Amino acid sequence: MANLKTQFFGLELKSPVIAASSSMTADLNQIKKLAKAGAGAIVLKSIFEEEIDTQLQEELTKSRDLEPDPEYLDYFDYIIKDENLKDYTNLIKQAKEAVDVPIVASVSCISASDWVLFAQKLAEAGADALELNLFLLPADVYKTSYHNEQFYFETIKKVLEVVSIPVSIKISHYFSNLGNVVKKLSETGVAGITLFNRFYSPDIDIRNETVIGADVLSHDNDYLLPLRWTGILSSKIDCPLSATTGIHAAETVIKFLLAGASAVQVASVLYNGGAEMISQFNEEIAEWMDEKAYTEINDFKGKLAISSKHVAVYERAQFMKYFSAKRY
Amino acid sequence: MYKIVQKEQFSEKVVKLVVHAPRVARSRKPGHFIILRIDEHGERIPLTIAEADTLAGTITLVVQKVGVSSTRLCNMSPGDTILDLVGPLGKATQIDKVGTVLACGGGVGIAPLLPIVEGFKKAGNRVITVLAARNKDLIILEEEIRQWSDEVIIMTDDGSYGEKGLVTTGAEKVIKRENVDECIAIGPAVMMKFTALLTKKYQLPTQASLNAIMVDGTGMCGACRANVGGQTKFTCIDGPEFDAHKIDFDELISRLGGYKEQEKEAWEKVVE
Amino acid sequence: MEEYLKIEREKEWRADLRKTIKNKERIELQRVKMPSLDPMERIKYQDREVNLGLDIQSAKAEAVRCMDCVNPTCIEGCPVSINIPKFIKNIERGEVLEAAKALKETSALPAVCGRVCPQEKQCEANCFYTLKLKKEPVAIGFLERFAADFEQNSDTISVPETAPGNNIKVAAIGSGPASLSFAGDMVKLGYDVTVFEALHEIGGVLKYGIPEFRLPNKVVDIELESLRKMGVKFERNFIVGRTASFNDLKEEGFQAFFVASGAGLPRFMNLPGENYNGILSSNEYLTRVNLMHAAQDNYDTPVLKGKNVAVIGGGNTAMDSVRTAKRLGAERAMIVYRRSREEMPARVEEVHHAEEEGIEFLNLNNPVEYFADENGRVNRMRVQKMELGEPDASGRRRPVVIEGSEYDIPVDVVVVAIGVSPNPLVPSELPDLKVSRWGTIDVDPETMQSSMPELFAGGDIVRGGATVILAMGDGRKAAAGMHQYLLTANKTNKEKIEAKAK
Repeated sequence: MANLKTQFFGLELKSPVIAASSSMTADLNQIKKLAKAGAGAIVLKSIFEEEIDTQLQEELTKSRDLEPDPEYLDYFDYIIKDENLKDYTNLIKQAKEAVDVPIVASVSCISASDWVLFAQKLAEAGADALELNLFLLPADVYKTSYHNEQFYFETIKKVLEVVSIPVSIKISHYFSNLGNVVKKLSETGVAGITLFNRFYSPDIDIRNETVIGADVLSHDNDYLLPLRWTGILSSKIDCPLSATTGIHAAETVIKFLLAGASAVQVASVLYNGGAEMISQFNEEIAEWMDEKAYTEINDFKGKLAISSKHVAVYERAQFMKYFSAKRY
Repeated sequence: MYKIVQKEQFSEKVVKLVVHAPRVARSRKPGHFIILRIDEHGERIPLTIAEADTLAGTITLVVQKVGVSSTRLCNMSPGDTILDLVGPLGKATQIDKVGTVLACGGGVGIAPLLPIVEGFKKAGNRVITVLAARNKDLIILEEEIRQWSDEVIIMTDDGSYGEKGLVTTGAEKVIKRENVDECIAIGPAVMMKFTALLTKKYQLPTQASLNAIMVDGTGMCGACRANVGGQTKFTCIDGPEFDAHKIDFDELISRLGGYKEQEKEAWEKVVE
Repeated sequence: MEEYLKIEREKEWRADLRKTIKNKERIELQRVKMPSLDPMERIKYQDREVNLGLDIQSAKAEAVRCMDCVNPTCIEGCPVSINIPKFIKNIERGEVLEAAKALKETSALPAVCGRVCPQEKQCEANCFYTLKLKKEPVAIGFLERFAADFEQNSDTISVPETAPGNNIKVAAIGSGPASLSFAGDMVKLGYDVTVFEALHEIGGVLKYGIPEFRLPNKVVDIELESLRKMGVKFERNFIVGRTASFNDLKEEGFQAFFVASGAGLPRFMNLPGENYNGILSSNEYLTRVNLMHAAQDNYDTPVLKGKNVAVIGGGNTAMDSVRTAKRLGAERAMIVYRRSREEMPARVEEVHHAEEEGIEFLNLNNPVEYFADENGRVNRMRVQKMELGEPDASGRRRPVVIEGSEYDIPVDVVVVAIGVSPNPLVPSELPDLKVSRWGTIDVDPETMQSSMPELFAGGDIVRGGATVILAMGDGRKAAAGMHQYLLTANKTNKEKIEAKAK
């Protein structure tokens, strides 16, 4: 009987299928279902600095019949931060009491000082591990790539100084030298790297001529981007990798494991199919492993990772070969 | 005006005062404390209510001379009045039937322990009390505690009464020989710290009652703040009892010394 | 209200007074200046008022500037609706005691308001001079203080008339400005009012929060005496919900409650090291000095007197704290505020006085961590520099951290004055009471009635944090609201009893 155990987040996991940070993982009932369905770990919904800011803006502008004096709202952001942190630490505590599965706290910040404060509080609250959701959309036309990269390294350094639980990071793919950056990140002492963060995309409504949000859930082919990079990077770094976005079938999970990932994180498929999807995935992966006579994941992990040094050449060659074969 | 109705000298430094405060007596539950101010110039100081008599309308306070204010209070006599007294403050002790309760009282902490021991016994628990102090003189309320305990173990630093040793010695003996469901420790911060470290080893849920510095006692100033499980709590409204395994005792001990210099100066002035 | 103002304005003495000087001449006069103590002198004393008050000549001269408008827009700016022209014109004609009486028609604490109200945002902001002439307004605040002080120092302190007692007991919880104002109005209507106070002194923030050099406690005491003479009862050392429960008080005959327990819950920033010795909330710092007289030798309560004192915040409480620190002998008394000077919410007058006293303003700075010596006493504060970024939703520019700008400032006392939150005691005793996420009691803004019909609320506990005068306005509204409620409730009861008897 196949054993699905793996290691990621600096922890031993019973399954490579992890419930990613989403609104499902903010709900204690869903968390219980996910644990029951056999999730290897549960990443609680990320605490966002922006959300706190949105709440603050609401407080500042809400119409009040009975006005406070301006002194009251001057440092209100500290109160909102505090409340949000308190709610989150309560969630961590309740989740830990309710399930046996590792609970990972997730933080998404922009300013360095808040990263440190949040990370510390969440570690103290009893989370098993911490995920830093480091996403920077490099849209600022005045910041250089060095400046952007420094954000990642500074933040990781500061957080590692103050927490004693394992820290993993989730990054975007917006780097001009992704390979080099991931290598450097893997050497900072983080327990794992997750490829890639998914930005919500804007779309345009031509009728009303407004910018709207595009589909929130991932599409089937979205997994190809992280799959390529998992395949390229997993054999080149020591740090475990996990992948996310577009993993909608057990088959895809296996693809990533073959490419060298230690685990995957799923969200959209759970929205559509419910927490039970995880037990379905676990079953199908075990079936495939049995068919192939693999007893554990390490038996086949990274089997299809690209080991050649000439990756770029290989990739281009593949591309050209494909299209030169086709005639339109 | 709150009149002192009775006074008993437990030892050279420890005094029992029975004070007329009918409303406080009526509303009070075990674990509650009061804040009093002797006169216009006095400090506001917190004291746990050791006992209350609702018929007579009195509350019992046990005071130890540690500084200017407590000494002045100890030097008062029956018939004297205390200018201000307010209560009951703090959260009452959570008293349930849990099975076996180990109560540890250190020095003047024995006084606030008494109503809690009584409460747990009345709730149907088996109660084992360890009383500890530096010497025989400082072991107070022994008879009253015996009334509500299935067993009493007495520990003194110098061996002048009971067994020689610290409260933790007595407590560990009990924990090792029988199943204990809950522990409560009240006494000097250092005593509670080491009791908590002991019970943590045995994973015995423990409550400690903190003796932080206070000014108003109603949650207004934050002087009494303590670090409990990484969160800042106010001893006067969230406490005075907290999960002993989560309390940062070192911080508490440091904060208790916050006015050491001023206290020393004030004491020297009085002695002159 | 309009009728009443018209009637008063058309009285003979007012009409005559208007004729004595033409408005054209009135507007040529310069606004009076408030004399104040020399800054370097005054920082030696905790209890010497900085503003010295006007003398009779300056007061009269200033009163002349008021044009006794047909439509006095100034009154619209006053949360307690003082008949401003009436009291000012009484000063002009030399009837200062009459002026004081006019103030007391609607304000229970005129000597207090004259000192601490932000008139520049209220009555004076709505003065004809400000609105239409773009000139400096009539110094309504200075005149209010003058009239109130004049009366306090005379032998005849007026006690407003009260209706005959109706034997209906009502309770006010907290003895700050909201309750005092409420009590004043209720006792005038004939109710049996008891004000319950948790601390040992009556006055709430007026006593523990506002320093002696801005609002002497004895000024507050004289106002309280008037209320006592009117029949208001005060119970100190009484925490409603603890010393006795609401049900206990109901059994003792109290029919309705006004909760004004204030915003007495200190806020901290949750920074590393914030629990070191030497770091206190502004509530603790000011309570030690103002309520417990810690600065005076013959009082037992100690206070930490630092050499390098940093006060975090930019409001009036921060100003009070930093100026207190200066008076306690600080060599450096600093304000550390994350926005610019212009954006500080403190009254301009307070900031100005603070500057005169040598307070250092470290704007665009924000603390991130504290360090201590081997005894656990704070000795260093790490701050980050800020710059002003995009405006937030309220229009104020956001303070944005300048990464990598951290530097350390040696400090031995830090006062955190970033605001307060509503005291949780009463809401925690009444689980049915509707309370907001931030701890404020939800009330009908017109009647101040809460989700429990016999319970009204006002002041900081409803607004989160407010000024003395806004609290007083709430007290007045609640008195009117409760009066209506009790009339209906008692009428219904009476009808029920009569129906039963039949």
